[in-house]
Amino acid sequence: MTTTVRTRLSIAAGSFAFLLFLAAGCNSSKPVMVAASTSPSTTVAVGPIPGAEAVPAGIKNPYDGNAVAIQDGRRLFNWYNCSGCHGGHGGGGMGPSLRNETWLYGNQDDQIYDSIAAGRSKGMPSWGPKIPQNQIWELVAYIKSMRTPQEADPPLEPSAETVQPPTPDMPSGVPLTK
Amino acid sequence: MDRVKHISASLFWPMVLCASLAACPFAQAKSPADGASNPPQGMTTDVPGALPGIHLVSPVPNGQWLLPAGDYANTRYSPLSQINTKNVENLKPVGVMSIGIPHGFEGQPLVVGSTLYVVTPFPNDLIALDLTKPGFPKKWTFQPHPDIRAEGVACCDIVNRGAVYADGKIIYNTLDDNTVAVDANTGKLDWKTQIGTIKLGETITMAPLAVKNIVYVGISGGELGVRGRLTALDVNSGKILWKAWNTGSDADVRIGPDFHPYYKKDQGKDLGITTWNPGQWKIGGAPIWGWLSYDPELNLIYYGTGNPGVWNPDMRPGSNHWSCTIWARDPATGMAKWAYQVVPHDSWDYDEIMEGVLVDMPWKGKERKLMLRPSRTGFMLVLDRQTGELLSADPYVPVNWAKDFNLKTGIPDIDPAKRAHFGKYTMDICPSSTGGKDFIPSAFSPKTGYLYIPAHNTCMDYMGVAVNYIAGTPYLGASVRMYPGPGGYHGDLVAWDVQHQKKVWDIKDAVMPVYAGVLATGGDLVFYGTLEGWFRAVDDKTGKILWQFKTGSGIIGDPITFTGPDGKQYVAVYSGIGGWMGAAAFPSMSTDDPYAGLGAFGAMRNVKSITSPGAALYVFSL
Repeated sequence: MTTTVRTRLSIAAGSFAFLLFLAAGCNSSKPVMVAASTSPSTTVAVGPIPGAEAVPAGIKNPYDGNAVAIQDGRRLFNWYNCSGCHGGHGGGGMGPSLRNETWLYGNQDDQIYDSIAAGRSKGMPSWGPKIPQNQIWELVAYIKSMRTPQEADPPLEPSAETVQPPTPDMPSGVPLTK
Repeated sequence: MDRVKHISASLFWPMVLCASLAACPFAQAKSPADGASNPPQGMTTDVPGALPGIHLVSPVPNGQWLLPAGDYANTRYSPLSQINTKNVENLKPVGVMSIGIPHGFEGQPLVVGSTLYVVTPFPNDLIALDLTKPGFPKKWTFQPHPDIRAEGVACCDIVNRGAVYADGKIIYNTLDDNTVAVDANTGKLDWKTQIGTIKLGETITMAPLAVKNIVYVGISGGELGVRGRLTALDVNSGKILWKAWNTGSDADVRIGPDFHPYYKKDQGKDLGITTWNPGQWKIGGAPIWGWLSYDPELNLIYYGTGNPGVWNPDMRPGSNHWSCTIWARDPATGMAKWAYQVVPHDSWDYDEIMEGVLVDMPWKGKERKLMLRPSRTGFMLVLDRQTGELLSADPYVPVNWAKDFNLKTGIPDIDPAKRAHFGKYTMDICPSSTGGKDFIPSAFSPKTGYLYIPAHNTCMDYMGVAVNYIAGTPYLGASVRMYPGPGGYHGDLVAWDVQHQKKVWDIKDAVMPVYAGVLATGGDLVFYGTLEGWFRAVDDKTGKILWQFKTGSGIIGDPITFTGPDGKQYVAVYSGIGGWMGAAAFPSMSTDDPYAGLGAFGAMRNVKSITSPGAALYVFSL
């Protein structure tokens, strides 16, 4: 694992400095010192391996199930623009949903970590050089919390008063005006 | 006076267009010298049955389909009438071709001579079909092999909105920011020019327009902090001639002494810099991804620009010129003639990129040169296209973000309670970001004087959130949730009487937005599709559905019509759900997150139970 970790983002415009400050102030989870030996290897195969069943690397998320880390992961999910591609609460958009049962590159902690750190084809950037390791683990914790009772800030449907149901006597496409 | 000008203009038409024969889109027309009084082959200025006083500035397609909208004026009208209200019930599919891509199939084919050309969604293959043989077999396929990483920076599915024919070439854009020109006969690449870079979040989805010897290309990426611009390329060589930026200095924007914006708010030096917080204009969005038009008499090209970046409006105080702006420019030099910013300091993602439909018609007792714009704002805008004056703005869907437009100042009367802000949801804004209508093109019939608008009825809750600019990633800064609007319906095909400024009939869709383009024909028919997959022919005067056929997937493409080598009239349309809203139908998307897909999936939560992806071309005839 030779991924360079930079703890600072390169920010284009100075006008965002105040937002950065806000974010730093909200970072309430304790940074975990992640030893180099616990970083997953990006050389783990992401596809099926011929012959005997592949053995997962098995590195677990140090934040697994940690409610504070899940909250922080939720904040970082917006902060690093994950929500812009994967949807406000991970339902997808430019990139695939993270809420459904389909995991193109595996749903184990280290596999999700690898997808974030190393990037994937079709445009998932390699975030290893941009996001500190502990924050990637927080993102993993948040992603794994989706659709569970632990999910931070789960998506809310609009209230029933806001959204009117389809008019029952209006079958799709029947002209209303003669 | 106007009429006299018109007659002379119609005589001049082919000569004006074909001043350079080699670059003429109608080069197949025989002998332009003695044919000056004849319409160019495949197009006509003769529209039988047109209402008195209605004139089209550009010949309409008559047999072929050479330009994205069929004509330069974006009417999407063809006088072909073999298929008409009396016999349309006998319409049947005569050719169906899968293209093997489970993504949104936007845009429309071209028909040049006896060949039909299809541009696919990414990887943007160009497929030529032989119309002389039964079943329309493939002649050849051109593969540009765009960079696969482009998929990751495309905001709203990996779509493409089609090609333009010019100078014996099929010219179109690839998602990874290249414009390609392919020999229409051989399928061999003529030239390829890089216009942008995916590393800055830039993609291209729009169909280019070619006028004389220049092809015009915009850029997408309003959600990724791009800096929008129009690029002009030489049709023969692909060489870049000039760029007109949508933010920055007057020099960059190509504003000079000939620039005369109608409204005071659009006058002033370097508004593309001074109406932004320092530096923000460099990542200020304002992309161009809709439809261009061209007026051969006034010799102006028209187009609109998209939303300002970032979506969080409090991060970019100011009017944010020249986002959400309509432009008129000299086609040769690109110098601006006028501009009108429709939405100052956009807070809702109301891109003003849709088609400007150019029609000359009586307006309040006087013959006027109009531009009709069924705007994403939910207002039907009518402008004087000579000056950029706004003549009227009437809602064509439920609207509450603004009460009206002040025609004297050009400024919308915005409800402050419906402005979006940082850190707090503004609830129940109508229409939603997807607009009263998105880029999906309308059609105008000179026989009825109606504009046929494929409309949505969606509203939204919108909150600005903190976001960093990281090049090549979404620069969004908003949490948005959309849902169907008031009235218990979701989509609407609206027939709009332009002169009387009112809806005359509509076809409401209870379950889905209308997200397909429209075609109007001399057979008194309007064709359009639904997201359920129905392809329909409708009586253009009454809105009565006369015929429908269920295609394989939801329709987000635009119908065209042409005359085959056998002399029969055909109608063709793409079927294949996708695009911004339709992407919710993909297996890789979840509809239990109404904030997904930039908030659009909230309005689409039932889509998976209604249709499935799978792109195909359908061709119909009697």
